[in-house]
Amino acid sequence: MTKSKSVKIITKKNLKDFVKNLIKDKKYEVVGVKEKGIKFAYGPLENANELRLDYDVTLLPPKKYFLPQIEKLIEYNLEKKFEYKREEKVKSRILIGVHPYDIIALEQTDKLYLDSQEDDYYKKKRENTIIIGSDIEKVNERSFAASMNTHVTDSGFDLLLTNIGGDYAITIGSKKGEKLLIKYAKTKPAKELDIKKIKEKRKKIKLEYTKKLKVPKEDWSKVLVANYDHPLWENRSQKCMECSSCTMVCPTCFCYDVIDDVSLDLKDGNRVRTWDGCLIRDFTKVASGEVFRDDISKRFRHRFYRKGNYLPERYGFVACVGCGRCGIACLPDIADPCDVMNYLSHFEKSDDTDRFFLKQKTDVKEKGTIHIPQSATIKRTEQYTKSEMLFEIELDDKKPLGHIPGQFVEVSIFGVGEAPISVSSGPSNKSTFEIVVRKVGNVTNRLFKMKAGDKLGIRGPFGKGFDVKSFEKKHLLLSAGGIGIVPMRSLIQYVVDEKNRKKYKDITILYGAKQPSEVLFSEEIKEWCKVDNVKCELTVDTCADKDCWTGCTGLITTLYPKIKLDRYDSINTVAVVIGPPIMYRYVIKCLETLGIPHKNIYVSLERRMKCGVGKCGHCQINGVYVCKEGPVFNYDDIKDLPEAFE
Amino acid sequence: MKPKVAFFDFSSCEGCQLQIANLEEEILDLIEIVDVVSFREVMKEHSDEYDIAVVEGSIMRPMDEHRLRKIRSRCKTLVALGACATIGGVNKIRNQWPVEEVKKEVYNDADLKDNKFFNVSQTKAVNEVVPVDYYIHGCPINRDEFKRVITSLALGKEPVIPNYPVCVECKKNENVCLFELGKFCLGPITRAGCGAICPSNGGACDGCRGILSKPDVECVMDLLKRYDLTYEEMKSRCVLYNTGVFNPKDGMTFVRRRKNE
Repeated sequence: MTKSKSVKIITKKNLKDFVKNLIKDKKYEVVGVKEKGIKFAYGPLENANELRLDYDVTLLPPKKYFLPQIEKLIEYNLEKKFEYKREEKVKSRILIGVHPYDIIALEQTDKLYLDSQEDDYYKKKRENTIIIGSDIEKVNERSFAASMNTHVTDSGFDLLLTNIGGDYAITIGSKKGEKLLIKYAKTKPAKELDIKKIKEKRKKIKLEYTKKLKVPKEDWSKVLVANYDHPLWENRSQKCMECSSCTMVCPTCFCYDVIDDVSLDLKDGNRVRTWDGCLIRDFTKVASGEVFRDDISKRFRHRFYRKGNYLPERYGFVACVGCGRCGIACLPDIADPCDVMNYLSHFEKSDDTDRFFLKQKTDVKEKGTIHIPQSATIKRTEQYTKSEMLFEIELDDKKPLGHIPGQFVEVSIFGVGEAPISVSSGPSNKSTFEIVVRKVGNVTNRLFKMKAGDKLGIRGPFGKGFDVKSFEKKHLLLSAGGIGIVPMRSLIQYVVDEKNRKKYKDITILYGAKQPSEVLFSEEIKEWCKVDNVKCELTVDTCADKDCWTGCTGLITTLYPKIKLDRYDSINTVAVVIGPPIMYRYVIKCLETLGIPHKNIYVSLERRMKCGVGKCGHCQINGVYVCKEGPVFNYDDIKDLPEAFE
Repeated sequence: MKPKVAFFDFSSCEGCQLQIANLEEEILDLIEIVDVVSFREVMKEHSDEYDIAVVEGSIMRPMDEHRLRKIRSRCKTLVALGACATIGGVNKIRNQWPVEEVKKEVYNDADLKDNKFFNVSQTKAVNEVVPVDYYIHGCPINRDEFKRVITSLALGKEPVIPNYPVCVECKKNENVCLFELGKFCLGPITRAGCGAICPSNGGACDGCRGILSKPDVECVMDLLKRYDLTYEEMKSRCVLYNTGVFNPKDGMTFVRRRKNE
């Protein structure tokens, strides 16, 4: 128990005056819980009588004041080269009537948005908001907060109101709250009896909860891990209307999307952040059209696992506060976590709660403002094929990108958007780096129209690249399929560089493309082959005109039988595989045949990396953030991760 | 070079074009980024040379199909404008009955035999006759969405049309769910992009932007029971814009959208 907090008493009339004074002062925007039709919602208070502390639950949680439905991140001018501005001023606001479960949800959001990687938009709003909480006076029948122990809180507020019959007790939670009281309210000190009344009140409210959880929240993770393949997910999701209402109304769902909105005259535009939800089909869709969680039962399941396993195991809290909003909002009534967990309570538990994570959960922190791209200039372009083009890019501060092979950047074009693109050049002291893009989405389509001298934005480098140090003294067997050669090139350039070549043994590069016209870097490949003990084998799936292609034809898997490794060599070989999702399963079988142990195999996976810093939620494979803990993975670490190679 | 844009209308109230005309002073911005070469509702001039054809209305007659094919052959990009064009809309209500029955009901004994203007077939959406590149949904269209599509085309990017249901926008607007007020709303299965304008103003969604996912029969029946709603209530909602999807004669034809459909 934390140190007991100072408590004041305020009469009903004085509480009203307190609110009245706050409104009158105009220093703050005073927001409170008000009636909205047959329900309640947070809104600006015009007078103190509008405040309804006897509400059960609001339609939306107070997250709308910290991560608004639509939030302008930057404003840019498309006529100028690379200019943007952002709103620096943040409204000072007071939220009145926040229930304990919503306060706890905000503290959870802080863990992701402040502790893990600071989001300064969120931070500013958080700093400029005073929270006057309120103990629950009326329990909603769908809420199970008492079972989650979120019906009370002793932190996360500046002031906390408790109706003790007639008067209100005000628990002071911060200096800010105390000052507010001194300036605007008439209070008197609390007596021992009043403190007792608060405790009684809280005990009484706990008894009013009829909806009860049969699985203590500490066990959610264990229960979920054991029941990943339970028919419940399929059965329940059959009724899902895929409307994502459950995530929209949830105080602990904070995934977002970022879109560019341009004025009709094309002169200026905004980059805005808006709520997104993992029940929406396009949530995991990448530019090439691949949807990584296409099946509704998997999306339905993902939401529960995020709440009960992924976030708890990473951040230490169950990301459900039992407010009951999703149960109310879900029309087929399948979304209520209490119902689902109670149903699963009959089934077994598992202690392997880290099953959906890498062995080591990493939390790489990026420097600077996470949403703002750095200005950069295209130095050179070179079109390789009809749909693939190279761009040499220099950051305008002329500093090297500082990446390691396998990392990616977010290429940012105002008016169009952002796309995650692998860096295709090896690390160097040069001020420029290279990317090679395939024309598949909006950003890459626009890139194709750009030329040397044009400006664009770069965020990153992001993610985990190849641990080139651990590859030393090993043979390297590098397999690239299609556009997979692009990130692979970054690694190849590094290892064939004369400074590094001696650190590695034999290097074999296997590269498969669809057809001869799609083979990339053919000139460079010839150069690589000139380096000592570097061998390249190329193959194309099909070749319409046999004369133009002298290499192999057939899938990349046809190249492996040519490789002979004895037992000694196979355990001293590191294999790297990068290619389309379908390729991994087959190539890894070939590598197994060669006797290469799983822990020597590295893969780079594609997902929808949107924010690059593990917040927006789009790239998640179970508990793993591909943008932070990938895109490069050790195969041994993720081979058992259910969604990774499905 | 600014792209040349031409507007065309088929069977419709022309209200979607009116929405564009209602951009008022913003029309000036519009003509800065595109060259409007044909727009019967607001100008006299007409040209048959255009890059983008914006087509409003449903296709009801063989002669309309012929005209639409000609338009398609002349343009590079074809945009279907409004519910009549994108999903057939209210014009499809009559598809519930044979054409002859409909004619009889409307024109009774009038002699229409040799009049080609009355040679009607079943109502079709534009994409049932020619390929459509982009859709601007709604009855009427949402002006902001029209602007987004036009600016996207001018910038050479794929316009983002929401692929999620109206509930997403309705929840963001913090509305009281209409089911809780005893109304049957098509929001949960209708494509968003309208900003949930109807539910936000107290009216249940009629599905004018087209049905996204089709939940199974059991689920809908459950829903009707839970909220004490009638089958008739649901039927009238579904038939208005989505006769093709919901056929009241056959009863429930709802089936779940299949993978990658």
